[in-house]
Amino acid sequence: MRVALLTEGGYPYANGEARVWCDRLVRGLDQHEFEVYALSRSARQDAEGWAELPAQVRRVRTAPLWGAPPVRRGGRRQRRRFAEHFGELAAAIASPGGPEPGTGHQADRFANGLHGLAELALEHGGLPAALRSEDAVRLLERACHLPGAARGAQQARVADLLTVTAALERALRPLSLDWYGPGGLAGADLCHATSGGAAALPGLVAKRFFGTPLLVTEYGVRVREHYLEGCPVGPADAVRPAAVRSAPVRTLLSAFQGRLAAEVYARAALITPGNTHARRWQERCGAAPERLRTVYPGMDAARFAEVGEGGQGVSGGDGGAVSGGDDRTLVWVGRIEPPKDVVALLHAFAEVRRRRPDARLRIIETRRADASTEPAGSAPGEDYVAHCRALAAHLFPDEAADAHTVGDNPVSFERLGEPGVPTLPQAYAAGGVVVLSSVVEGFPVGLVEAMFCGRATVSTDVGAVCEAIGGTGLVVPPRNPRALADACLALLGDPARRARLGAAARARALELFTIEQNVAAFRGIYLELMSHCPVRREEVGEGGAPLPFALPAEAHIPGRWTAGRDGDRFGHWLAAPGASRGPQDHTPTWAAPPPREPLSVGPQGSATEEGA
Amino acid sequence: MTTPHDPTPDAPTTPTSPGGWNRPSRALIASERAAPGAAARTPYAAAGESGRGGEPLWPDAAAGRTGAGRPDTARDPGAHAPSGDPAGPEAGAAPGDDSGARPTGAPGRRGPADPVRELMHRHHDLCARAVDPLEIAAGLEAHGVTDRTAARFRHRDVFALAEELYARVPRAEDRAEEPADAPAPRPERGSWALWPLPGALCAVTAWAVLRPDIAPPAVRAALGVAGAVLVGVALWLCLSRGPLRIAGRGRAGRLADLAGPLCLGWLLGYAACGDWLLTGLVTGERGAYDTARAAETAVVLALATAPAAGCARWFAVRARRRLTGSRGLEEFAAGVRPLFVLTALGFLAALAPLVLAARLVLRLSPSGTGSVTAAEAAAAALAALLFAARLLAVHGFRAAAISGLAAAGAAEAAVEVTALAARLPGGAPLGAPVARLIAAHGAAVVPAAACAAAALGLLGYARAVLSRASAHNATPGAPDGHTPRRGPHRGDSTHPARCEAPQ
Repeated sequence: MRVALLTEGGYPYANGEARVWCDRLVRGLDQHEFEVYALSRSARQDAEGWAELPAQVRRVRTAPLWGAPPVRRGGRRQRRRFAEHFGELAAAIASPGGPEPGTGHQADRFANGLHGLAELALEHGGLPAALRSEDAVRLLERACHLPGAARGAQQARVADLLTVTAALERALRPLSLDWYGPGGLAGADLCHATSGGAAALPGLVAKRFFGTPLLVTEYGVRVREHYLEGCPVGPADAVRPAAVRSAPVRTLLSAFQGRLAAEVYARAALITPGNTHARRWQERCGAAPERLRTVYPGMDAARFAEVGEGGQGVSGGDGGAVSGGDDRTLVWVGRIEPPKDVVALLHAFAEVRRRRPDARLRIIETRRADASTEPAGSAPGEDYVAHCRALAAHLFPDEAADAHTVGDNPVSFERLGEPGVPTLPQAYAAGGVVVLSSVVEGFPVGLVEAMFCGRATVSTDVGAVCEAIGGTGLVVPPRNPRALADACLALLGDPARRARLGAAARARALELFTIEQNVAAFRGIYLELMSHCPVRREEVGEGGAPLPFALPAEAHIPGRWTAGRDGDRFGHWLAAPGASRGPQDHTPTWAAPPPREPLSVGPQGSATEEGA
Repeated sequence: MTTPHDPTPDAPTTPTSPGGWNRPSRALIASERAAPGAAARTPYAAAGESGRGGEPLWPDAAAGRTGAGRPDTARDPGAHAPSGDPAGPEAGAAPGDDSGARPTGAPGRRGPADPVRELMHRHHDLCARAVDPLEIAAGLEAHGVTDRTAARFRHRDVFALAEELYARVPRAEDRAEEPADAPAPRPERGSWALWPLPGALCAVTAWAVLRPDIAPPAVRAALGVAGAVLVGVALWLCLSRGPLRIAGRGRAGRLADLAGPLCLGWLLGYAACGDWLLTGLVTGERGAYDTARAAETAVVLALATAPAAGCARWFAVRARRRLTGSRGLEEFAAGVRPLFVLTALGFLAALAPLVLAARLVLRLSPSGTGSVTAAEAAAAALAALLFAARLLAVHGFRAAAISGLAAAGAAEAAVEVTALAARLPGGAPLGAPVARLIAAHGAAVVPAAACAAAALGLLGYARAVLSRASAHNATPGAPDGHTPRRGPHRGDSTHPARCEAPQ
């Protein structure tokens, strides 16, 4: 089975996001052929090259989403068609209303415009030049000044219109790539988009023109990331004036991203969010719940096996001693950044010290030493690190056992790779309790690693923490140092409970967050999609001539006669619950599934019998 | 103000009937009357919870929103349990764990009547500049607001809370301050120091070359060559950065890349020796090559770099500024058209002093006769043509620029060819108009007329197209876009080794 892996700023690039996950997926599913279609985000990413690719990646095609567009203008007829479709798209994104379901009319207009543009780009090319032309700006202006347009859009100035058309050109660049030939996406059995947004566009086109099923995996929801990069908020609030866009630009681009996401979710055969948080956002953006299937990201459990098993074994023995770890020690592992709220951690630890003076805190930074020395001092994160160190020095003076020994600070800042903590498992093993104090978190990777290590954890209730930890650790509200301190104290004072929670956490992690689980889930999903949504290609005989009557006429009945029923020609095999099983009861005899003679030769016949 | 999630549809009023207050409520009211704030502490002490240090993030929603009129529910912890939260507080805590510091909305200090108001106040900027509720939701989540927090505000999730905030906070009218805090991106500073360099170098070189008394001819020739190289370098410096830089060069087709330099080369070549050739063809005798006139043309062209760059930059900056201020394309076009006219007039006006300066520098050249003035006019017209073409190319209309240059070159070539054809047997009548023209106005009138007409045409076209907004669409990512480094194994290529990999 040929799987087209669609990525944006991701997989084959050495510094791409979600690269590790894609790599494991591709290596784990070596019975399939993979073709990687990658969009690069910047010249730097392009220049840094690719990661090493396994043999099942047959082919890699790349295209930049940056830089100047290729200049090629279309003729007059193309210009007219462009005006028609782009006008529709512009009207849809200028109209008010979020991407949530219920705004069907605008969603239809958006879809029509988008697919019209895709068709135009497929037939004639020249879409980037058209999107940069005066026509596009004029159409957008007209759409913004329509009576029903959103308030933000109506305030658009010329500079805003230009920014929006440039951004749209970049976002729609996947439409005019040369990926859709018979050797490309037209020949793929499945498109797997590893993120929403631009990466899913080729899949959308393939779905539309070739019927290739589309699978969308999102670990971070693209729409949400778009909102966050459009308005830099958060406790970090790093001053990035260039990133602050004007209200009309944000209105139009948010509407575009929202409607694009809704369209992608509507056309996708399956959507696999990485956690419940992403799932909620996807549902909010219009994804149908029955097509959502949460697949947790997988992590390498083998690295932590030694520490995890050791901790269990010893604690099972006498219930108190945790292997290697010092049971007076709290460990925090991560990058020292404002969203991690190390300040709250320090305040909480001050409270812990007040009640347990022998407690210690080890703050272990995972950022590489060379990576942080490179932009020394200039990076905004460095200020925060310095601030945290200063606060720690202020709150906790150095202490010594008696008058003759050299003192030491109860809070130590260490960096992963230093002699004290050479590896990540040892970092987690260094303490009795692992603490997570973030105020913003997506999927808490560090927490899951701590779970693999069998550590008892105290974490803040942010992002996907609650669903990751389940009942196997303590959860406190974010920005609440006292609650954090109470929870830490409770665990520090109760070794048996710590061991119990650690063992439960490890068991939970091994069940939910391993690579094998992730790969197995996708293996099943691939097979399911292939069996339920096969690409309908014309049956070709020996000489390359089309074979008439190779498929029974019933195969062309709109809607699926094998599973469920649905009205649109995009053919979702997942119908609403209830209608999925038992079409045989309601099917008239003349429309009953016929024996598929040309297709099923022997083994398939028996399979149908089994199924029936 | 009630929300759809309010469990009681009644309006929140104080019960007036006897027995409307139950016992704990009465105790609460009594204790609050006695010592406001004392009631806030007791339940905590009783429950052994200490998770609330008066943190404003966890305002006591229930006490405010609905509990104002129903104090009995304010005492009931069940009323505060997040109803629609899939991961309730219990989900996060270990079984049998009661010390997880869960600040469920235990009855505490009585909050304000409207707890969302505090949130509104805290995130006012975020809410005021948000363009839709999802933006507020994303921002709230980035600030650590979770579904459980939202449940405290009697909302099912963050989205519902964000919707209320979006509906209640008035949108900011930030249009007024925007032009101030988003100034037009200025071209890089400092490059203007380079602009007069080609002119100065060229003038010095021409002056040195044309003075027979300062050095022997061989030295002067060497000087001339060295000067020409220096002028070329200076020109390249001026044109490859700053306002005269053409972005995205080398992306177009190969033919288009060649056409521009070819036309330019022809025009410059004609300016150098076209008149001499034409005179020779018409009169039939080889006249002396007028070095001084060619040098003057070169000096005028090199000197014109500075005003060209200055005008181009002025136009670009003004147009960019207008871009941020205009409300519509028509308004923008109406504002930019006079700007362009001013730019063109400014450049043309700057040409006259340049010609004078060139004449002063090359004082030794024979001046004062009419034909020299025509040659100077030709040089000025060529400068204007090149300026117009460059301006168009800078703003993305390269094809138009090249066709303008090509038209002027073709006109000049046509005259030359006609003169040549007149030399052929039987072709004499063809050459008559050319001969008459040259006799009347001198040979320099041909390039002057051709270049002036082409320059006028290009300027007229530019006035129309440069008033479009899309012509000023500066792409910030362009500088890194035109030199992609491509490794041998990169690009739209299949892996040869991978393709042959056995199945």
